Amino acid sequence: MIEINEDERDALQEIMNISMGQAADALARLIQTKVSLSIPAIQSMSPEDFKGVIHGLSNNWFARQSFMGAIRGEVIMSMHKDGCNALAEVMDFDLPLDEAATEELVLEVTNILSAACLQGFTSQLELSTQLTMPAFYYPVQSIHSDDWSSILIIEVEFFIEQMQFDSRVLIGLSEGSIEQLLVPIRALLEA
Amino acid sequence: MPIPVTIADDSALSRKTIKRALPEDWDITIHEAKNGVEALDAVHAGLAEVLFLDLQMPQMDGYEVLKELQQEHQKTIVIVISADIQPEAQALVSKMGAFRFLQKPLKPDQLRATLIDVGLL
Repeated sequence: MIEINEDERDALQEIMNISMGQAADALARLIQTKVSLSIPAIQSMSPEDFKGVIHGLSNNWFARQSFMGAIRGEVIMSMHKDGCNALAEVMDFDLPLDEAATEELVLEVTNILSAACLQGFTSQLELSTQLTMPAFYYPVQSIHSDDWSSILIIEVEFFIEQMQFDSRVLIGLSEGSIEQLLVPIRALLEA
Repeated sequence: MPIPVTIADDSALSRKTIKRALPEDWDITIHEAKNGVEALDAVHAGLAEVLFLDLQMPQMDGYEVLKELQQEHQKTIVIVISADIQPEAQALVSKMGAFRFLQKPLKPDQLRATLIDVGLL
């Protein structure tokens, strides 16, 4: 399992907090509605546990994006199905949502949230990474984490109260990427 | 006389970042608070003529601190430094008496300009 100390956890949490704040702001400005978010939860887990987390989110749509470069990992976005119509309406989608439109909505929101969020933390840590295009995802498919012995998961919940919209962004980093991520974090803490 | 300044933020990294961004030529004493309760204690102890205030903190958040300061008619100059950068948060804290709103990650140039703007430098 990946071990990070209290200071490193605090720093990672704060950096993610700032990144997610930027992501929430990007979505809030688009839909002109306040977006709330939880404090980032950081935990290391095995790929098996991670699958359990994903399977626990039934009644959700999923999309995923990989990122590569200085650090590698996956961003998995889950959106509760119930709030999608209300969000789709303010994003000018035709209702009711058909399959193609649902996919488009999920991918668009994923793009906004995960891009802002990844951009936020890589720019704060001066790391260079690229995101692939998001893809709609069914949890029965395997995820890259299968190859990883241990992963660090950073989870944040975004919600829009008046629309009953609820979503989660899960960022999974492999063991080697955590070491890479900790280099600039330690430098920040020691400066 | 140095100006008593308190930095209220639950994150050690954030407090460090703010301290590092403070202008070197600014004559101040720095006190740190890890939550809203400690921030209010600092105000009551005369340690916060200027208060750098985070919004999201355990025990008592930044909004509650602002509310309390307003009720007590405190003269503290509050500069909010927040990761919640949505228009609604900015409008709300300004209504609640905060002098300025700065976004995280904090940029030293912006902080300096803000301090000049409110007449502290």
